[in-house]
Amino acid sequence: MSTPAIPFKYMPSPLFTDPYADAWTVPFWEATMREQLTAPKCTNCGKFRLPPSRWCAQCHMQDLEYVDLPGTGTLYSFIIVRHALTPDQKDYVPYIPAVVDADGAPGCRFVSNIVDVEPEDVKVGMPVKVVWNRVSETLTLPFWTAA
Amino acid sequence: MKDKAAIVGIGQTERYRRGASLPKSMMDMAIEATLKALDDAGLTVNDLDGFAFYGGAPADPGSMAYLLGVPHVKFAATLTAGGSGAAGSVGMAAAVINAGLANVCVSLFVLQQVPTGRFGGSSEGPRRLPSAGGGGAYGGSTNVSPEAAFVSPASIMSPGHNFSMLTQRHMYQYGTKREHFAEVCISQRNNAMKRPQSVRQTPLTLEDYFAARMISDPLCLFDYTMEDDGAIAVITTSVDRARDLPHPPVLISGSGIGGTGNNAHLLGNFQMPDLSFASAGARDVAKQMYAMAEVGPQDVDVALLYDHFSPMVLMQLEDFQFCPVGESGPFVAEGNIRYGTGSIPVNTHGGNLSDFYCPGMTHIVEGVEQIRGTAINQVEGAEIALVTGGPSSIPMTGTILKKDR
Repeated sequence: MSTPAIPFKYMPSPLFTDPYADAWTVPFWEATMREQLTAPKCTNCGKFRLPPSRWCAQCHMQDLEYVDLPGTGTLYSFIIVRHALTPDQKDYVPYIPAVVDADGAPGCRFVSNIVDVEPEDVKVGMPVKVVWNRVSETLTLPFWTAA
Repeated sequence: MKDKAAIVGIGQTERYRRGASLPKSMMDMAIEATLKALDDAGLTVNDLDGFAFYGGAPADPGSMAYLLGVPHVKFAATLTAGGSGAAGSVGMAAAVINAGLANVCVSLFVLQQVPTGRFGGSSEGPRRLPSAGGGGAYGGSTNVSPEAAFVSPASIMSPGHNFSMLTQRHMYQYGTKREHFAEVCISQRNNAMKRPQSVRQTPLTLEDYFAARMISDPLCLFDYTMEDDGAIAVITTSVDRARDLPHPPVLISGSGIGGTGNNAHLLGNFQMPDLSFASAGARDVAKQMYAMAEVGPQDVDVALLYDHFSPMVLMQLEDFQFCPVGESGPFVAEGNIRYGTGSIPVNTHGGNLSDFYCPGMTHIVEGVEQIRGTAINQVEGAEIALVTGGPSSIPMTGTILKKDR
């Protein structure tokens, strides 16, 4: 296994290189391999839910469909990790964990990182867009940057 | 269960800095604190028959009963979640006693912060282990659940990171500033400085605060709780029995142990509703607790609010209705939480931030001492104290302590 590429400034150390998925989440990770952002939606009532829990809290049905999203959104909140909590993170600070409201999937949020933006320029409410990092042959991760 | 049970004893070990309690074991300290609390209550292990714990305590009631020689254990249970259960553990004890399940309950917490096990420390998270399980592209082999895989890549590794995320949103929505967090830290340090037993005694100025290193912006070193070692126990029994014991009974007047269901992601996935994202997740608990105790925030004389991170004190001031939602920053800036001069003195002992970190237990002890009238920073005429557990996963907890008639 080779060390995953870090193509973006302020991207944290990748924690894993294979997707961890089950029947409910495989479609999401397959779409990421095509660099397509999707979100799970209840086939019965239409409520989006992230992470893709096995039950819809609104109608108590289990079936999901994955809907293609445009890959744009709004930064809901973020932090700037400046102090590495573990030794292997020392080379990766600062990094910027973020919560993003994605366009096209109302009511659910993506938890990811802001990359390629100087920390002092990151603002809640800023428009963001997804960028992709092929971590390994089996895993492509979405990150977000300024739109 | 209103006013039917009372806290009658408190016991503490020596207070140690992180890791300094070795070679004592955690069980050593749990036993020591329990014996001291029973002694303070004028009771013995023969009276003890209940264990009402939280957050794993982390001490096993069975082992404790064996080592203490408790003859009959009638109740033993632990509230789930972490420090959030602190205030609720005595609420659970009161419920248990009121239901007749047990007569004398101990609630306690013990900490020993060694490198292999720090409470609330960072989780290193899954490492690069794709080859370990051989499960193929979707096999998975380690501790990443399919749901966690949607969050883990962000490297949000500790509670401090989670609460920084809530804080940033609070700043955006309401204009809250770092000066407001500093006021919490400085006010509590001032309280701790008057108490010889408090661990943090050096003065803290606004300049010190802004000179501190940032850990997870917007939170700096002083916004984070300290980490210490030690154990604290409290004893609860029925109010009738309490009136025959040495100390004035401290009534458990109301308690809430729960939370708003759709706010359950406070420490995980950040899917909380927009209206409660930047909150302590305690609004339902506050309503339930106040209703049970038949009091309101205007009746509370002293508020002991769990302070793992200073902005969460602000959000609790809102959730427990001391000020409107979004206005906690200006509220503290006006001096309202200061001991001696403020409208609602907060963490008169110094809290987790400056007194001692034994997740939430010092808040209960301070509540008891305020109602007994023996606190060092005594609020004159204090009759009602609010004690809360740490904003965290459900259950979030709060308890009203009250002076006996």
